[in-house]
Amino acid sequence: MKTISRRALILYLLIAAFLAGIVILYFNLISNANSWAMNKVNAHLYSNGALSTAGDILDRDGTVLATSKDGKRVYCGDTTMRKAVLHTVGDDAGYISSGVQTSFKDELTGYTLLDGVYNLKRYGKGNSLSLTIDADLCKTAYEALGSYHGLVGVMNYKTGAIVALVSTPSYDVINKPNDIDTDTSGKYEGIYMNRFFTGLYTPGSTFKIVTAASAIENISDIYTRTFTCNGKIQIGNGYVICNGVHGEQSFEKALNNSCNCAFAEIAKELGGDKLTQTANEMGFNKKIENIDGKIKCSKSKLDLSNAEELDIGWAGIGQYTTVINPCQMLMTVCGIANGGKAMKPYLIKEIKSPKGRTISTTVPSEYGQILNYETATKLSALLRSNVENEYGDWRFSGLEMCGKTGTAEVSDNEGARPNALFVGYSTNESYPYAIIVVVEDSTYSIKTAVPIATKVMAALKNQ
Amino acid sequence: MKKTGKYVNLAFALLVITVFQLTCALTLLSQAEAEYRMNIAITFGIYILAEYIYFIGARLILKRKGFEVELIAFLLTSVGLSITASVYPSLCIKQLIAVLIGVAGFIVLQWILRDLKLCMALRIPAAIAAIGLLALTLLLAKVTNGAKNWLYIGGISIQPSEIVKVIFIFVGAATLEKLQSNKSLTKFIIFSLACVGCLFLMYDFGTALIFFFTFLLIAFMRSGDFRTILLLSAGALMGAILILTFKPYVAKRFTAYRHVWEYFDTTGYQQTRVMIYSASGGLFGVGLGNGKLRDVFAATEDLIFGVVSEEFGWIVAAIILLSYVALLVYSIHHSRYARSSFYAIAACASAALMLFQASLNVFGVNDLLPLTGVTLPFVSRGGSSVIGCWMLLAFIKAVDRSTYRYGGVRQ
Repeated sequence: MKTISRRALILYLLIAAFLAGIVILYFNLISNANSWAMNKVNAHLYSNGALSTAGDILDRDGTVLATSKDGKRVYCGDTTMRKAVLHTVGDDAGYISSGVQTSFKDELTGYTLLDGVYNLKRYGKGNSLSLTIDADLCKTAYEALGSYHGLVGVMNYKTGAIVALVSTPSYDVINKPNDIDTDTSGKYEGIYMNRFFTGLYTPGSTFKIVTAASAIENISDIYTRTFTCNGKIQIGNGYVICNGVHGEQSFEKALNNSCNCAFAEIAKELGGDKLTQTANEMGFNKKIENIDGKIKCSKSKLDLSNAEELDIGWAGIGQYTTVINPCQMLMTVCGIANGGKAMKPYLIKEIKSPKGRTISTTVPSEYGQILNYETATKLSALLRSNVENEYGDWRFSGLEMCGKTGTAEVSDNEGARPNALFVGYSTNESYPYAIIVVVEDSTYSIKTAVPIATKVMAALKNQ
Repeated sequence: MKKTGKYVNLAFALLVITVFQLTCALTLLSQAEAEYRMNIAITFGIYILAEYIYFIGARLILKRKGFEVELIAFLLTSVGLSITASVYPSLCIKQLIAVLIGVAGFIVLQWILRDLKLCMALRIPAAIAAIGLLALTLLLAKVTNGAKNWLYIGGISIQPSEIVKVIFIFVGAATLEKLQSNKSLTKFIIFSLACVGCLFLMYDFGTALIFFFTFLLIAFMRSGDFRTILLLSAGALMGAILILTFKPYVAKRFTAYRHVWEYFDTTGYQQTRVMIYSASGGLFGVGLGNGKLRDVFAATEDLIFGVVSEEFGWIVAAIILLSYVALLVYSIHHSRYARSSFYAIAACASAALMLFQASLNVFGVNDLLPLTGVTLPFVSRGGSSVIGCWMLLAFIKAVDRSTYRYGGVRQ
């Protein structure tokens, strides 16, 4: 039998191949299990392509924004609130890809490698997610935006918690308009996208915050300079046009006036390298980590590598090719408010198991020092001066608000309407909140963006 | 001579698998509709009873000590039986009957195998029966799911190729006692060609591949001739290429291979569903009866590994895979002490066939190999398949000298 048993040894090769196959099989399974299990045809989680069984989504006060009942997704009862939180919560068909319901599917379904989707079977729902947002505040912001397309974002600058987030246009998740995918009038433009996380906008004068920061750091006598504005300034063989004729003005006054001549001149003096360096420190040209590890953010961009002097002048006042991402811009503003230290934005406060056991709690974490403390303090004083001397403290009573408006030209076409922006924050210790408002196809920001900020900040204060 | 301590402690192992089977039965009873409860109770009652009768009989009457092989088979069979009873409660008694026939076949074949002369006398009639059965299938069978491999006799359907597997190994291993005889190998090659040819004409390519693999293995173990084997493999490969070139519809069956997610709702449907639902199961599974893969076509046959992964979890699925390895290692180990080369070759070929078939099934539905639509030994639903597997097990059992020590061997 020796011969046969020696020949039988070749079977160990077969066994080795089989064991290797098992290892590959399980390696594939373990490394892809999550994405495979979350597939839309998985009848454990979906029916007809719509999420059916998952955990609750709550706002920071415990208001139920979405839950599952009898194998169907059920949303909060208030129609306006549903529209206001649509882009944060998401829909059950996954059109709104950055929504929590899509991004945090595995957490919501309670999927684990250990138990698979068994929790759904056992409890009829998955883990519950508590968000950092205040649904009532979102509703206020949604109503304030009215019929405008745009966004409102509010963040706690001490922690990075996003307390309000609204993106318009929006729709009612339980009553989706039929013409949403066929309409050509533009009324639903970008309706599935969360403008706060993925939008990119020309910053306009809000970028003067960056130019000012660079000036404070690089031009030692900036506070004793005077700038003369005649309504336009020649740089190279072109002009930068101002929004008025401001005459002689200090640095502070130039920011109050949002004087294009002064800031184009400052940018020209700083040069592309220094301006870019400050912008980079403040978060430009760098992707921020996915929010809560899942939600993607677009990147703010400033590229002066091929810019002429005139281009740098335009860039200094927030035009040229510069774009900002609202979430990233808000984080930068929060950094200024917080003495130069920016916090990472987050949306998930806590995840709890179906039995109520806390699985994870988000601990605020630092993004980094985007400005040194001294520059941040000086910049903050300038932004405070804007509200005190230009926009009016009466708009934000009791909040000791800092801010900067921006009216961004987005098209050279005759009759094209600008985007209005406002970024600001309260220096009142009791309300450590920063806000960004973007209103598309608008007029001057003081007429649209600022009043929206006023309403939202007032609601925040009067809670 | 082995020590008693090396044998699996029968009582303990039997207790473990009984607990598993009772748990499955109780779960099934709690979920089943009232009209099927009796079916399920009868099925599991008789199955567990048969198990105990077998083990107690073999231990007390035949005074056997080693039971690893049967324990594995009884465990795997009960996993399949549980899934059948859960998905098709009306068919579980039918499946049980097939299992009992299989166990009976296992015992009878063991009895035949103890007598080497009888085996040698039976090989020609067996070979003729095998070819006849396949030819009959070719003549009478209608095309079902793309293959012409089912015979319908008096209301029951059988898949003759599953039974022919047993004869194939019997004939292949028994053709001649002496090794390295080219003449006997030629006869076996002709017999193999006839079998594989019939399977090709039935479009049952998965089974044809299994037969070809088994043929190569037996031919090698008998002749030890690597060059012949390589030559035969090369010839087969060229044949396969020719078929794929001239019969493009055969090649079309493999378009989804390694691209199943691109053919998500067409030719990759079954594979992607297996992956999605296996993933849903996790290490411990969603529990018997709670799965969703069972709603996909052929879930209890070709896709049963996915159902096991989803409902019983990845650990049980891995245990099933390792069971086939255990059977082969057992066969290789005992072939060293086998009474004749017939037993050694038959056991190794049987265990290797099962391992190879399990690979085609499991790696096929998980897109590591092309999908061929073969069953998972012992676990897949289907009478012919389970009978064939239990009879193959007789070869594995027969290689162990201790099997016949107490019952007496006729030389």
